[in-house]
This record gives sequence, structure tokens and C-alpha cells, in this order.
Amino acid sequence: MADITNGKPQEAMTQRKGLSDRQKDIIQKFAALGSLVILAAVFAVTSSAFLTVNNGMTIALQVTSIALLGIGATYVIITGGIDLSVGSVLALAGVVAALAVKDYGTPIWLGMLIGILTGSACGVINGFVITRLKLPPFIATLGMMLIARGVALQITGARAVSGLGEAFGVLGNGSLLRIESIDDQGFPVVTFPGIPYPVVLMIVIAVAAGFLLNRTVLGRHIYAIGSNADAARLSGVNVTRVTAFTYIVSGTLAGLTGCVLMSRLVTAQPNEGVAYELDAIASAVIGGTSLIGGVGTISGTFIGAFVIGILRNGLNMNGVSAFIQQIIIGLVILVTVWIDQIRNRR
Amino acid sequence: MGGVQLAAGEPEPARLLLRLEGVAKEFPGVKALQGVSFDLRAGEVHAVCGENGAGKSTLMKIISGVYQRDAGEIVYKGETVHFTSTHQSEAAGIAIIHQELNLVPHLTVAENIYLAREPRRGFLVDRRRLYADSRRCLDRLGVDIDPHAQVRTLSVAQCQMVEIAKALSLDASVLIMDEPTSSLTEQEARLLFRVIRDLKAAGTGIVYISHRLDEMAEIVDRVTILRDGRYISTDDFSAITVDDIVARMVGRPLEEKFPAPTRQPGSEVLFSVSGLTRRGVFSDINFEIRRGEILGFAGLMGAGRTEVARAIFGADPFDSGTIALNGQTIAITDPRSAIEAGIAYLSEDRKGQGLAVKMPVDANLTLANMDAVANSAGIIDRQRHRASSQHYVDLLSIKTPSLSQPVRLLSGGNQQKIIIGKWLFREPKIMFFDEPTRGIDVGAKFAIYQIMDALAARGIGIVLISSELPEILGLSDRVAVFHEGRITATLSTRETSQEDIMLYASGRSRHGE
Repeated sequence: MADITNGKPQEAMTQRKGLSDRQKDIIQKFAALGSLVILAAVFAVTSSAFLTVNNGMTIALQVTSIALLGIGATYVIITGGIDLSVGSVLALAGVVAALAVKDYGTPIWLGMLIGILTGSACGVINGFVITRLKLPPFIATLGMMLIARGVALQITGARAVSGLGEAFGVLGNGSLLRIESIDDQGFPVVTFPGIPYPVVLMIVIAVAAGFLLNRTVLGRHIYAIGSNADAARLSGVNVTRVTAFTYIVSGTLAGLTGCVLMSRLVTAQPNEGVAYELDAIASAVIGGTSLIGGVGTISGTFIGAFVIGILRNGLNMNGVSAFIQQIIIGLVILVTVWIDQIRNRR
Repeated sequence: MGGVQLAAGEPEPARLLLRLEGVAKEFPGVKALQGVSFDLRAGEVHAVCGENGAGKSTLMKIISGVYQRDAGEIVYKGETVHFTSTHQSEAAGIAIIHQELNLVPHLTVAENIYLAREPRRGFLVDRRRLYADSRRCLDRLGVDIDPHAQVRTLSVAQCQMVEIAKALSLDASVLIMDEPTSSLTEQEARLLFRVIRDLKAAGTGIVYISHRLDEMAEIVDRVTILRDGRYISTDDFSAITVDDIVARMVGRPLEEKFPAPTRQPGSEVLFSVSGLTRRGVFSDINFEIRRGEILGFAGLMGAGRTEVARAIFGADPFDSGTIALNGQTIAITDPRSAIEAGIAYLSEDRKGQGLAVKMPVDANLTLANMDAVANSAGIIDRQRHRASSQHYVDLLSIKTPSLSQPVRLLSGGNQQKIIIGKWLFREPKIMFFDEPTRGIDVGAKFAIYQIMDALAARGIGIVLISSELPEILGLSDRVAVFHEGRITATLSTRETSQEDIMLYASGRSRHGE
């Protein structure tokens, strides 16, 4: 009875079918990574300033917002949903954090926490509207996108909130392991630029998010819902709660991204983050996440975010206009998804 | 059609419609068909039999132009043909009724029947003709379906009928039917057979694929058997027994269709349902299951069997009634509470409601019992996860190249075993099997019957919902017969017959009440 499943027949079947799915998965990962390396190599040749520690940190810093939002997008998209509200939510969260500090005098950490929780609250509302009122995710988060942006503009009178003090900028501009000394005239001399806090945050969160998705019951349930929500429910998965959870993650990460971005500028802009949701979705999609649900990885999204970030940075350095950049990134999305579809066709 | 009638008494030589010679088809790494021959005469029903994976569907797809053959010849009405799309084969008069339904849920029945072939008046669809023609097709089938109804409001059986009407509307000379009765009740199947006889009389050649060998006797003239992509034999149906067919399909003699029961139902009541009612769907449902007993749910499609099971499982709500396990009333609000109480439900719709098809074998096996393979923080213990999955793969002889194989790539029988394994891992006390062998080949069916019997022998109470009466009679200890949302009789299987059950299922009783 048992011999069917182990030993020789197993090998034979694998060979007959050609590559196993695991092998394919690895190839896919290398393909994405490989294109990333090729991109970097090309830019390193065309621009001397590209391959430097400083530029590397710049890219990593620029990628943080796409990557953080992309992680949230990956969670939501794996369940078969979509979150269009993150660009607006990050603006609202940043503005709320800034106003809390400026107008109500809260300590900066508390102000930022309030900002992040504002993002979570938006996620809770999205989750409620989608799982309880049963609106399609596209509509629910489209509504939230308009509402959050409107609130951000209303409470600031559409003006930037500035004069937040230097300490507000630490999260966005400080770095870990920075080595510097002060010279005679009082200017800092940088020996090692350090790893920017946002980059540290991004890495920690990506690792944690990947762990949750791959190694926990909750992560397994997220995949199950995207693969087949009915089967998941009939297997005892709490579909409502798990689905709502993914929107809360997305909202919270949007809130965090908002605080990081505003901190970097030391100014809160109610108009910040327009169309960021599309970058987030693009990074997930380039990384192999399927919009139908059930498929996607954090590592893939991470690579996707870097593909977008390096393309932007490298093209900038080569003096390619922002419009041409858009065209190229658009083409990259089409080509990667097309390749993905071919790969999955049988 | 039908050709010129010859003088009476002189039998008309059956006209050859379709002839395949030495057809081969290879997919990357798999020889799906090799050297397959087949022919179809006008006015005959020619069955193609074989286990899942024997190449039946591939052969039909080659005939209808979905796939192109790698070698061999196809002669249709005297000419060698190379169809490259179903559009071409349809235009030539070959229609196929697919096993999986290909209907558009938000269009009406008529719009589906004439999809992409709508009768036109200039640029506009001629709606009057559309509905009149559709009505004619449906009338010909003798089914009462409103051509104006949206397909999403129809039952699976009705959808199947629409699919058949669609094929009829093509006025095809060759009609391929792939499992047309798999979701029909006996009564509906009978209707279909009547239509098939009409078509035969009109000279249509019908290729008929079905797992229900018993029903073939009514309509099939010849039978061709395939095994592992190879041609085995072609015989007149009257010259071969069903047992022979099965033996050739599986390549070995098959003694019994049902395993001899090893279970011994106890006398104590394990599970009882009383007064279960959902307004407009079912009412006053009462039944008991004893320890180690298999209770059959018989009835026509739509009699409320699945609905009752789903309500007990918490998948659908109910208005009143009590459910008790081991004499204690249990409150069921959703599938989770039912699962925790020890109830399992295997849906009739495997891919739609049973499996996460994109996920691998091991993830599906553990999906209903993740807590058992994770620590208290919810982190999966990969070793335990692997060991538990492997245990059920071995226990149920699930054929898969690895635990990480996505289940969509496995056969129907193995998919069903995975669902069974998923529930066994929860160690349920009561299991509902809803059409557990639908679309599953003979060998795998037997294995599933064996598993059900073995589970009952372990003391699990089992409910078997099946539209195949022989299955109910062959497997259950008692039968509850449903009619229009009520249980009209509960019979001891040993003392009843197919006729008795049909009588109660149609709402009449022996004493003419």
C-alpha cells in the first residue's frame, strides 16, 4: 500500500513531468534576481556614480516605501483582494503624526505611534467593509483612498505641516552604525554613512512578514483563502478574520511608511504618496504574486521593489526623463507577468 | 440525415462517419495516446471506456480540434481532416459536450445556447428567434427550463441540460458526450437517453464517455476500451459483459464492485438530528446514526440531501431543530464549530469547495487541523507537518510524486483521497460523504468504498449522499430517502430494493397514501 508513494516510482514520475515545481520556483526566483543583477551591471557601466556605497544606500532608502507597501499588498493580493488605499492612508498617517506633535505637543514617538495606528484603523475599516458589508475589495479600498486623502487635506487645510523640529526627522534620516566626527568648524565628517533606519525597518519587517507567511498557521490560512475561500471556510478557517487581518497589515504598513516618509522630509505633506498603491501592486506582481490569489512570496515582492527602485535610480543617473521611466517600468510589468503566465501554462 | 432508405428488408449498410487510424499524441514527457484506432457509424452510440488518464478526453479533444495529433489519420465523411479549432470541427458538424460545464453564468439560457452564433438581424441580435429556437432545443430535450433564466440561477443538473441543448442546436452529425450524466439524477438521465435514441434514429453518430457502466446497456451499441493511452479493443456491447469491460479497463479482473463489509454497526446511537428545519428548503428532518454505521441519503437531485448535510455542518444556516452527538446537544453556528464538535463534510464539489487546488498535497492534508502541526504561538513545526502529511499519503495510498505537488495536478481519485485524509487527521466522529465517487474511475472508487468501510469499522458514523442507487445499496446499512425536503422513509438496506427507494424518492409510498 505504502510503496506507491516513496522510492523509485516517485523519481520516475518527477522525471517524466520534467522540472518539478520546486525547481521551477527556484528558476523563477533566479530569473528575477538575475534580471536585477543584469540591471545593476548595466547601470554600473553606464554611470560611474551608480555602484557606490552611497548610491546603494540611496536606492535602499528609496525602495523602503515601495517594499513596505508591497509587503502589505502581497498579503492582501494573496487572499485574492486588492488595496488601493495605501497611498492616501500613508499621507493621512503622516499628517496625523505631524499634527499630533505640532498642535498637541505629544512626544515624537507617541505621535508616530498614533500615525501608525491611524493606518491600522484605516485597515480595520477596509477589512470591515470587505468582510462584513461584503463590498468588493476594489470598491471598498477605492472609497478609502478618496476618504483618507480627503481627511488628510481637510485637517491640514491642504497645507504642508512643517516646523516639526529636527527630532521628527530622526526616523527617516538617521542611521544605524553611522560613524562620524565633528571637525573644527562644527561640520560633520562621515566615515561610514551607516544603514538608514528605514532600511533596517524594511529588512526586519520583510523577514518577519516572510516568516509569518511561510511558517505560521495564519500564513497558511492566508494562502488557503486565496486558493479557495469556500474550501478554506469548510475546513474551519476563519475567513472573515484572516481576510480582515491582511487589510490591517496593509493599513498599518501604510501608516508606518507615511511616518517614515514625512520624517525623511521633516514635513508632512497631505499630497504625499499619490499613486504609491500602484507601485506597491507592481512590486508584488513583478515578484510573482498572482492577482487571482493563492500565489505570492515576500522575497519575490522584495525583489520586485528593488527592480522598480534600481530602474528609477539608474535611469535617473543616465539622464532618462521621468516620462520615459514610466514607459519602461510599464513595459517591465507587462513582460514579467507575461513570462510568469507562460511559465504557469501547461 | 439518415440517408436514402433502401428497399424494405434489405438492411442499410451503416455509413461510416468518422474513422481514426493509429492516432498518437505526446505531451512533454507523456505519451497520452499511441496507435489509437476508432470508428463511428451513423446512427450508433459508441462508448469509449477507460480509467482516468487512459486518454479518453485527449482523444475527444483531438477529434474536436482542441489538440492536433502527432501521428495517424482522421477521416471524417470520407475526407482526411485536420481541425485546428473547435470552431472548425463544429462547422463541419462535430459537437462536443464537455465534462466541465462551459456556461456563462450571467447570460440567459438562450444566450448561452447560441453564444457566438446568435441569430442576427443586421447588426442586432434577433432576440425573438434566439428565444424561440432555444425553446425548441429545450423542448426537444423535454426539460422545463426557462430560456430567459440566467444560468447562474440554475442547478448543476439544469446546467448540464443546457449544455446538451447547446450541442443539439448545432445539428451535428457527430456528437461527443463526455460524462453527460455525471450530475444528473436517474430520472434526468432517462430523459437524456430518450433524446439519444431520437438522435440515433435520425442518423447522428454519438461518442459516449461515462464512468457509469451500468447505464450504458440502455443505449450503447459498441464499446471501445483504452488503457494508458493505448487501444485495447472494440466490441459490440451485446457481446461483452460489464465485468469484462472493467477488467480490460484496469488490466486485471475486478471481482467485486463493493468491498465486503468489515464493519459491525453498534446499537448505541452516536449522532441524532431531530426536527431540523430550514424554511423553504427542508423541514422536520429526523435521523440517527449508530456507531460504525453507514447511513445512505437517497433521493432526487434537489430533494434536500446536500442542504441538510451543509446545515448540520454549519455551512448554511437552519431555522430550528437539534443536533446531538453522544446524546449531548451541540450548538453549531459555522463550519468551525461543527469541525470542533467532530463533524466532517466532504463536499460534492471537490474543486470548488473541497480543495485549495493551487496548494501542495501536504498543505491540503493539514488545512483543517493546523493546530496539531503548530506550536501554541502558531508557528508550524515543519517536521510534524511533513510526518503527518506523509502518514495520510501512505495510509490512503495517495499517488503523488511528492508532498509539495500542487493538488490540481493529481487525478480525481487522489484528490478525493486528500480530502478524506484532511478530515481523518481531525479524527472526526461523524463524516458526511457527498457524492464521494463522482467523476472517479472504477479502481479508485473501490478504494474509496474500502476506506469508508474501514472508517466505519473504527466506530465513525458515516452518511453517504449519492445519486447512484447501486452505490447506496452496496455500501450503506440503512437508507434515508428524501423527497422535496423531507425524509419519506428510513429503510434497512438489506430489506429494500432500488424500486422501493425510487418509490419513496418520488414521493409516493407503497400503500398509495
